Amino acid sequence: MLTPDIRPMYSKILIANRGEIAIRVIRACRELNIKTVAVFSEADRDSLHVFLADEAYPIGPAPSKESYLNYPKILEVAKACKAEAVHPGYGFLSENIHFSKACAEMGITFIGPKPEHIQAMGDKLSAKNLMKKANVPLVPGSDGPVETLEQAQKVCQLIGYPVIIKASAGGGGKGMRVVTEPSGLESSFRACQSEGLNYFADSTVYIEKFVTDPKHIEVQVFGDLYGNLVHLFERECSIQRRHQKIIEETPSPSLTEPLRQKICKAAVTAAQSINYLGAGTIEFIFDSNTKEFYFMEMNTRLQVEHPITEYVVGVDLVKEQILVSLGHPLSFKQSELKQKGHAIECRVCAEDPVTYQPSPGVIRACRHPQGPFVRVDSYAYPGYEVPIYYDPMIAKIITWGETRQEAADRMERSLTEFVLTGIKSNIILHKTILKHPKFLDGSYTTQFIEKNFEIIEPDLFKEVDDHVFLIIAGIHALNDRKNKDVRQHNIPANWKRIGRRMQLRI
Amino acid sequence: MYFEAELREKNYHVDVTETQLSWKIAIQEKDKDWTYYEILKKDYKPSESYYSLLFQGASYLIDVIGKDTEYTVFTRNSFRKVTIFNDEMLLHESLKRDGHMGKQKDLRAGMPGKVIQIFVKPGDIVKPNSPLLIMEAMKMENEMRCQSEVKIKQILVNQGAPVETGQVLILFEEDPV
Repeated sequence: MLTPDIRPMYSKILIANRGEIAIRVIRACRELNIKTVAVFSEADRDSLHVFLADEAYPIGPAPSKESYLNYPKILEVAKACKAEAVHPGYGFLSENIHFSKACAEMGITFIGPKPEHIQAMGDKLSAKNLMKKANVPLVPGSDGPVETLEQAQKVCQLIGYPVIIKASAGGGGKGMRVVTEPSGLESSFRACQSEGLNYFADSTVYIEKFVTDPKHIEVQVFGDLYGNLVHLFERECSIQRRHQKIIEETPSPSLTEPLRQKICKAAVTAAQSINYLGAGTIEFIFDSNTKEFYFMEMNTRLQVEHPITEYVVGVDLVKEQILVSLGHPLSFKQSELKQKGHAIECRVCAEDPVTYQPSPGVIRACRHPQGPFVRVDSYAYPGYEVPIYYDPMIAKIITWGETRQEAADRMERSLTEFVLTGIKSNIILHKTILKHPKFLDGSYTTQFIEKNFEIIEPDLFKEVDDHVFLIIAGIHALNDRKNKDVRQHNIPANWKRIGRRMQLRI
Repeated sequence: MYFEAELREKNYHVDVTETQLSWKIAIQEKDKDWTYYEILKKDYKPSESYYSLLFQGASYLIDVIGKDTEYTVFTRNSFRKVTIFNDEMLLHESLKRDGHMGKQKDLRAGMPGKVIQIFVKPGDIVKPNSPLLIMEAMKMENEMRCQSEVKIKQILVNQGAPVETGQVLILFEEDPV
């Protein structure tokens, strides 16, 4: 190993983000005795990260493009307040190659991926080519365009059915066909070609193995400047809707120990192939039936769901990011890392639990869950108005247990404890998912919400009798009527009184 | 005071009487028996930013938003919208709605956002619950559907246009089909 070249601790870090992740970074900085600088848009003057940071500066109007993505302005603030480093959190500028470069040019440390890593992994196709070279498993397929039916037949014979035919230029579900047996290939192949031509003016198609019951399993990796690259085990994030994760857990209930070893090793190989530095996540698609896994993409940043790894592995990932960016070697070795117990995260969003429509607005009551082995990363508080401009996620609840069952029971009681009124939230949706047989036995796939979870509203709300709501509405309706009468009859109007006095000139 | 209430598409009669120490509430779902409750005032008390209700031995933290005829009641991670009228309110409401009780005249934006895609054109007759357009708000795309069968009269927004809360997006014919 090279001799460590460690720079002195930062005295100030600017956090180029908002919401709970900005607060998460502020917490790590505080523990390292680093001053924190928040930036905020016009819509976020009342956001909790502004209150909690040591310094806070406005960076522009509400739309992200003009504020949280406006990196020249953010760097201007960083320069003016003498921040030595910028932490981008997740989303916004966290994987922005121009920002990463601009920071370096200004002599400000970007606590995130190097430009070359964003470059290598940002484009899905180039990432897949790199992974192929590194022998990381990819979804088997035609490996390029398929022109004739004979070619298609050959490919399918090789990779086995079911397969999916995709128009190269396709997207949004158009120009995609699943074929389950050889007899269906010809018609689907032609249909896909013509769909491609009709919708996207390009008849090029390619063929991939179709994963029938896919799970999303990802592996946390971490690298330092001295060639150490470790994994911090997996996270399963299959409960999602329209590619937005809803619940994550670790360890994955679908992995046996040998499989876990294999998938984590593949992740390390993938990260090593680009000499990855810092925190990253390798995402795999896992076939529940064949137990095969395939590389999907790499996220070169901290993930929303990083706390479940922190709970089970016992590592503070954000602090480690800061230390590694200063040149510290990783504070742990692969052999020292163990998974202890089980952790689950639920993302609490300001949205209607039945229709999934966002529900921005003013939070009235807010009481976060407390108690043993519960972590709440939230920026909600009573009186806070959830703005319409940003992600609807307002809190993450993370619970830990010796066993999966205990972690789930603890999550359920935490959700019960969470009082959040004024806006609609998906808390009740989480409670319903936790009780679903497919969640209980761990057999859920990424299609869980669409396929296994047709919500019937009464079911979702059966916990409280309708009469309770009627009683309360009745009492309040009566009081409102009463108050109105009082106002109309008993309170003297000051305008009238003053007017009379002026006329009387007294 | 006598009210008519609607909760999850069911109609109820609700009679509330206040005494010095309690509220007496009678509830009847249409065509069913009356149920009687008494809530002692000491069992429904404001605390911090919400109310504490003790009801049949169970403890509820309750928050209520709304006034006059519409209340949203939050408790135990659940919420329900209750529409509640007495005679006078019914009158006001019916005047406001211009006689078209309950029938959709137009599609309005529920929140500020952007129209991503429009599926219908003037003259279309649209089946209940079919998508009319996609709106983007808070980074999410949402399909907006019609509640009943409607005929499209006019479309008042362009694809890609930003819209404000309450803005009329699509006008329906008054008498469809």
